[in-house]
Amino acid sequence: MSFITVFKRDLKNLILSPVLVIYNTLFPFFMVSILGYLTSGNYKGGGVTSYDYYGVSLIIFTVLFVACTAANSFMEERVKSSNLRIMYSPINPSSIYMSKIAATFVFSSVCVLVSMAILRLCFNVNYGGENIVYVIILLELLNLLSATIGILFCCIFKSEQLANKTISPFINIFAILGGVFFPIDSLGKTVEKLSYISPAKWVDEGIFKIIYDKDLSYFGPTVIILIALTIIFIIGCKLTFKVEDYV
Amino acid sequence: MRHKFSSRLNNQPQKSTEGLIFFYGIKTKIVIEELIEMKKILQVKNLEKSFKGNKALKGISFDIEEGEILCFLGPNGAGKSTTINILCAALRCDNGEILFEGDMVNKNIKNFKRNLGIVPQDLAIYENISADENVKFFASLYGLRREELNKCTEKALEFVGLLDKKKDKPSTFSGGMKRRLNIACAIAHNPKIIIMDEPTVGIDPQSRNHILASIKKLQQNGATIIYTTHYMEEVEEISTRIIIIDHGEMIAVGTKEELKAKLEDEKIYNVEVENLGALNKDEFFKVEGVKKVEVSESNVEITTLKGVENLDKLIALLMNRNVKINNITSAVASLETVFLNLTGRTLRD
Repeated sequence: MSFITVFKRDLKNLILSPVLVIYNTLFPFFMVSILGYLTSGNYKGGGVTSYDYYGVSLIIFTVLFVACTAANSFMEERVKSSNLRIMYSPINPSSIYMSKIAATFVFSSVCVLVSMAILRLCFNVNYGGENIVYVIILLELLNLLSATIGILFCCIFKSEQLANKTISPFINIFAILGGVFFPIDSLGKTVEKLSYISPAKWVDEGIFKIIYDKDLSYFGPTVIILIALTIIFIIGCKLTFKVEDYV
Repeated sequence: MRHKFSSRLNNQPQKSTEGLIFFYGIKTKIVIEELIEMKKILQVKNLEKSFKGNKALKGISFDIEEGEILCFLGPNGAGKSTTINILCAALRCDNGEILFEGDMVNKNIKNFKRNLGIVPQDLAIYENISADENVKFFASLYGLRREELNKCTEKALEFVGLLDKKKDKPSTFSGGMKRRLNIACAIAHNPKIIIMDEPTVGIDPQSRNHILASIKKLQQNGATIIYTTHYMEEVEEISTRIIIIDHGEMIAVGTKEELKAKLEDEKIYNVEVENLGALNKDEFFKVEGVKKVEVSESNVEITTLKGVENLDKLIALLMNRNVKINNITSAVASLETVFLNLTGRTLRD
């Protein structure tokens, strides 16, 4: 019951933060607008427009950055002391970090769906038609993994600033390797092999296969890997979260 | 011992028993008043804590009786916050144990936490939701629901004088009002023990008086309060007992009267002087009763045994050495002087 109480509070805190709402909904729209327009010449002729490409890859990029939203929900100055009061209460310590993960996941899931709807309406971005459910499942599982990574970094570094500073380079590397900004397969076999260390790559590739080839072969393994990593990182949170580190 | 007993007697609550008896056929009301033994609500035994090899607590032991206002005093880094955090069950001690109502806290930590109300030094409230939403949220973490939650929230807000502002957001509150809301969030679930870590920091005198009055009222309602502050006058006003901690050790425990009594055999003269010149500090010790001398550029502080009439001799000594005396004051023992005497530091050091 206390978990639900804390979860609701965490979710409200995220919803009441205009910066996070704008970042998670309007930011992908502006980025897709700009990059889609600038690169529209490169995508002429095929069935895929630049908006289609960035409409998927920049949503993935936004989902990767959910890790920072999670860190924010945990340790932002505005909520830090109140979180400490929660730690003093008789609730289970695991409810504290689990509620942050859950709240960030729910908040950013809604934001992602809103972003996708806006992009579909404005640029007619292709999200797979009847296979859209698979696309959404992959995006939401990546979203859950990102939220867990953000909280794990907070548990490890005990500071939002340090967590964000460490998360940002990781996400950018994952994003570049995942081909979020431009396809990197053309950079050679080694780079292509290396790119598979990024979860963004599997999700990116999996989604494009679902949308354009109606091929679900990547879907199952990607789901399993994303869930497995999420579980591993939640265990990491359990091992590293100690109330006494925050008092 | 006599002093200790009498001071405890003053703070000791009395239990009244009323009854009717027939005495030789006449209905008579009798009232029996008896002193009751105060119940030990918390027993702290031999707490030890180290941080990276540095001993922050070196075996702290004390008991807290039900209905007490126990004040913790100590300079920064003395071990106060570590003790408080261990008492809040937020920090584990390396050694030692805490008993709540006779039971080991570690065995049922949730039950212990349910009986604690904590007022942290930093404001732990949400600025973007109303005052009553704040109180409700924190009280609900202690298991309060529906009607009971609403009732306790109203009561807590009324207690701190914010009931008429319950729908306002703390972002519109003054510093003092936020501090009061910080307290309301800690007391709504009716805790048996309330731990307050400098709850009056940085607020106006009016709010401070309101908070101190509220603390006394909480005590009258049966709560036990553990209080830390840097303000000695607050300790003078509200404490029933004081613990002085320094370098991770308890250096004194007692009521304010008991602590002051430690200096009652001493008297301190503060002499403002000019041209101290070559006057040697050791010369003062030739005067009967002088125990301690502190000399600064324009000030001599002489601690001497009480009852030894030596002021004339001290003045004569200074005059013989051609020292110009501007002023002489005699200090009465205060908690500040007791603290200084025991720790060698002021509270804000």
